Amino acid sequence: MFRFNPNKKMKSYGILTITLFITCVAAGCATPPSSENKEDLATFKEFNDPYEPFNRTMLDFNLAIDKAVVRPITSVYREAVPDSLKDNVHNFLENLRSPVIFANDLFQGKWQRAGNTLTRFIMNSTIGLLGFNDFATEAGIEKHDEDFGQTLAAWDVDSGPYLVLPLFGPSSSRDAFGLVGDILLDPFTWLAPMEVRLVRTAATTIDKRSQKFDQINDLEENSLDFYSAVRSLYRQKRLDEIRDGAPTANKPVPGSLSDLRRTE
Amino acid sequence: MKLNRFFAPTTFTLITLLFFPTALGANPAKSFVAEMGNKAFASLSAKGLSRYEHKIRFRALLSNAFDMPQIARFTLGRYWRIASNEEKTEFTDLFVRFFVQAYSNRFKDLGGKKFVVTQSRAISASQSLVLSEIIIPGKPSIKVNWRVTSKGRQYKVVDVVVEGISMSVTQRDEFVSVIRQTGGKVSGLIRALRKKTKSN
Repeated sequence: MFRFNPNKKMKSYGILTITLFITCVAAGCATPPSSENKEDLATFKEFNDPYEPFNRTMLDFNLAIDKAVVRPITSVYREAVPDSLKDNVHNFLENLRSPVIFANDLFQGKWQRAGNTLTRFIMNSTIGLLGFNDFATEAGIEKHDEDFGQTLAAWDVDSGPYLVLPLFGPSSSRDAFGLVGDILLDPFTWLAPMEVRLVRTAATTIDKRSQKFDQINDLEENSLDFYSAVRSLYRQKRLDEIRDGAPTANKPVPGSLSDLRRTE
Repeated sequence: MKLNRFFAPTTFTLITLLFFPTALGANPAKSFVAEMGNKAFASLSAKGLSRYEHKIRFRALLSNAFDMPQIARFTLGRYWRIASNEEKTEFTDLFVRFFVQAYSNRFKDLGGKKFVVTQSRAISASQSLVLSEIIIPGKPSIKVNWRVTSKGRQYKVVDVVVEGISMSVTQRDEFVSVIRQTGGKVSGLIRALRKKTKSN
């Protein structure tokens, strides 16, 4: 039952990195604009996206898979499954994430949030019937998310350049590292058989896509440049998550044009 | 005589409070957002609203409560300075049309939801951040922060931040990116906007 085979996993990440590198060389990394054009140089730094040509290729690849596989399945799922059952599935999958959230709460020294995560996990796994029901939220213990990318940010690790990962989507070098960290932190990686993990991954993909179905369609339809809209949303969303949703006045403010600083 | 000395200030205070409720200590930026939000919810959640009518109402709300020229200017980022006057005028006009087209859809299905203004804080002499929540039964509430600027006694929204995502910043990043791809010229963005606002 207990499988301890980290080598195999690490090897596949090694291959991923090499593939990334080769594709990057083949697709060509963005070269910074000549230093004479100050405005362009400033935006280049602000977007923090030196691998833009590679990232655009990856987004196209991900969108192709989305159109061919993920979106059709999600559409059927959304139509065929009643809302209450979809909620149950969502709660169940979210509950499975609790150990990872708990570990990251602890890593960041957020004891009260760690307590919340633990209480939620115990409550929902027992009286919530294996997590299919989220009674903890109804009892006033609200859900929050954490991941190893956020923990690294809390440890003052710089986000690094923006990256679009194959299948995983928008990320950064820090968050890509965090993704590996979360997989290693997750007890299911070590305890559950491969088939179970695959089913969970597939179910999570459909659930997440279903939750964001309208937003993604809307953004695709209404953006001038889908790629840069997604990049901006990702950067802002991550900053918000790292701050645990606390409002900030440090963002560039409309009205102070001279002060368009980078926000990271 | 004595009576008068007591009544005059009291009457004065009462009249002041009656006509200027802000004198009570209510925050004017906060009440501005609350009022605008309630108006928007009432106007946009009306039943049987056609898509066209919804758009018209949305546009009316925008021009009342939002400082659209200021937002347009911000979204051009550094390129505002290099744009010609004609480009600035056309861009501002196209921006409003693009904005109505892109965002009016996102303000549908407001029925059953509640808008609550929670607090307000000053971020500069003329700007405040007003925090609010949209409460949806059975779902986690959505945090919406409004950046409000005051010109004298008139208030206008300059940015909306939904769950940490700023509308102005997102739009600026996208526009600046389009300008960069079209050789650093504002005219490239204007062409893209013309095409986008014409298609729908």
